[in-house]
Amino acid sequence: MLEIKNLHVTVGGKEILKGLNLSIAAGQVHAIMGPNGSGKSTLSYILAGRAGYEITEGSITYNGEDLGAMPPEQRAAKGVFLAMQYPVEIPGVTTMMFLKSALNAQRRGRGEKELDAIGVLKTVRAKAATLNVSEDMLKRALNVGFSGGEKKRLEILQMSLFEPKLAILDETDSGLDIDALRLVAEGVNALRDPSRAMLVITHYQRLLDYIVPDRIHVLAKGRIVAEGGKELALELEAKGYDQIVKDAA
Amino acid sequence: MSNSSALALPVARREQAASHYRAMGVPHRRVEEWKYSDLARALGEEGFSDGTACWHIGPLPAGVEIFDLAEPNAPEWVRKHLGSLKESVMSAASLAYAQGGVALHVTKVAAGPLALEFSGAGHVRALIVMDAGASLTLQENLAGCDRRNIGVEIVLGEKAQLHHVRIAPVAAGAVQVEEVAMTLAAGAGYHSHYASFGAKLSRLELDIALEGEGAEANLSGVSVLGEDNHADITTRISHAVGLTHSTQLFKKVAGGNSRAIYQGKVSVEKGANGSDSRQTAKALLLSRQAEADLKPELEIFADDVKCAHGAAVGDLDADSLFYLRARGIPETDARALLIHAFLEDAMTGIANADLREQVRGAVNDALGRVSA
Repeated sequence: MLEIKNLHVTVGGKEILKGLNLSIAAGQVHAIMGPNGSGKSTLSYILAGRAGYEITEGSITYNGEDLGAMPPEQRAAKGVFLAMQYPVEIPGVTTMMFLKSALNAQRRGRGEKELDAIGVLKTVRAKAATLNVSEDMLKRALNVGFSGGEKKRLEILQMSLFEPKLAILDETDSGLDIDALRLVAEGVNALRDPSRAMLVITHYQRLLDYIVPDRIHVLAKGRIVAEGGKELALELEAKGYDQIVKDAA
Repeated sequence: MSNSSALALPVARREQAASHYRAMGVPHRRVEEWKYSDLARALGEEGFSDGTACWHIGPLPAGVEIFDLAEPNAPEWVRKHLGSLKESVMSAASLAYAQGGVALHVTKVAAGPLALEFSGAGHVRALIVMDAGASLTLQENLAGCDRRNIGVEIVLGEKAQLHHVRIAPVAAGAVQVEEVAMTLAAGAGYHSHYASFGAKLSRLELDIALEGEGAEANLSGVSVLGEDNHADITTRISHAVGLTHSTQLFKKVAGGNSRAIYQGKVSVEKGANGSDSRQTAKALLLSRQAEADLKPELEIFADDVKCAHGAAVGDLDADSLFYLRARGIPETDARALLIHAFLEDAMTGIANADLREQVRGAVNDALGRVSA
């Protein structure tokens, strides 16, 4: 589904990703682990299409298409979803109105019929209940005054609403206590599906106790330096990033 | 000025206003308060016409008396208050030269919004006197593309509540100035929203005196400007006694070659302890040629007061734009959504739902025009 080859990315003239290779098939959950500054967030942003991130070499192919050439909204319509580390607060737009606009924009982007307000409301309510997203949160301005846990739950609610083909979770565990983490992980696990690929980006092994990946890649200095099964997370936890990076060299 | 019956003002009072205006002259950009709004230049040689601008009023609810200021035999409440409040230079002009206007006396809680419209060219006066405990929602509309100067005085008795929503549609080529002077007794409240869409020169000046304990003024406004339009809101709020409150929230969107201005001065007088004032003005610029001048000012002579002010001019937030696009919303729609959201913040405070919808409608129309 996703094929990244020899990817070089610069941000503000500085090269952050330096020849990254990664391949994820439908139905698989992969994890990217790495120390601070290794390029984890850059990888998530380049996949979602953020302005200011430039591909200087290599390619990102998604279902046979050149993902790097698409604007962010087109990627979303084609099923790419990035659950962000810091979801933005937008005063003046209610959460419900945002969800409806986004859902219908994606449907339009795929040439599908838009859902009416009642249809959206029903779908959102049903999904919100399982993620403990209250009616009050849906009425409030998007993410304004939400706790860290509420923001992350809303990200997962969107993931469940938009039903992406490729879901990227950027540091979804940051700022969550253990209960919130469990709730978010359950939400993610419920979305595991043979037709869906997931990329979980995290600094800590903790999240991977709850979302067990098929494959783990270690990112350091802009490259994948080690790969393995789920047991690699435990090794990382025991040895630390420095040792793993050294062993790989 | 031979017609001394017009405006129910003694001849001496009109002459005093005329000499005030003559001494000051038509304000221009070298007058600090008019730095961003060169009225003399906008008017040119012609100046204002000698005629009196028109006013039209909707059906009066129970508890509201009306008096036509062009009529003789003004009632006591008109004679007592007309020309009694603080007078700025352009307010002196309308006091001196207007041959008519409207006066409203609100004696109790009046139902429903009352619509008041100004049109035509020239000077015109309005006076609103509210008795203790009275309340009114006033919708002020401006119509036409003329050179007009409106002078308004508002007297709020104890605990009187005035909700004022003013909609000034785009009036390309027009020169429209309005001065509102107001005094609030103890516990009185003035709650306003001004939606301005610009003219060749458009200026709304407010002079608000919080003169009784517990008096409060809550001002908000939006401006959506395009082409070479101009809109200036200048406020002066005086906290004359303690425990008075004021809030101001102004949001402006400027495209084309337009110019959006906010000047707000809050003074907390000696002894006005426990007063509370908040002032926020923000502008979004949609083009390189557009300009916003935001100038909040604070003057504090009392101890133990809470005052905050802030102003910011900028572009849309890049993080927010990316977030919306990454969730499938195309760039133009995402921008429109963020601009709406930016303005919405200042409109949510309009208490009357119908008026709030009217303002939203006017804002949507203007955004369609300005961001196209």
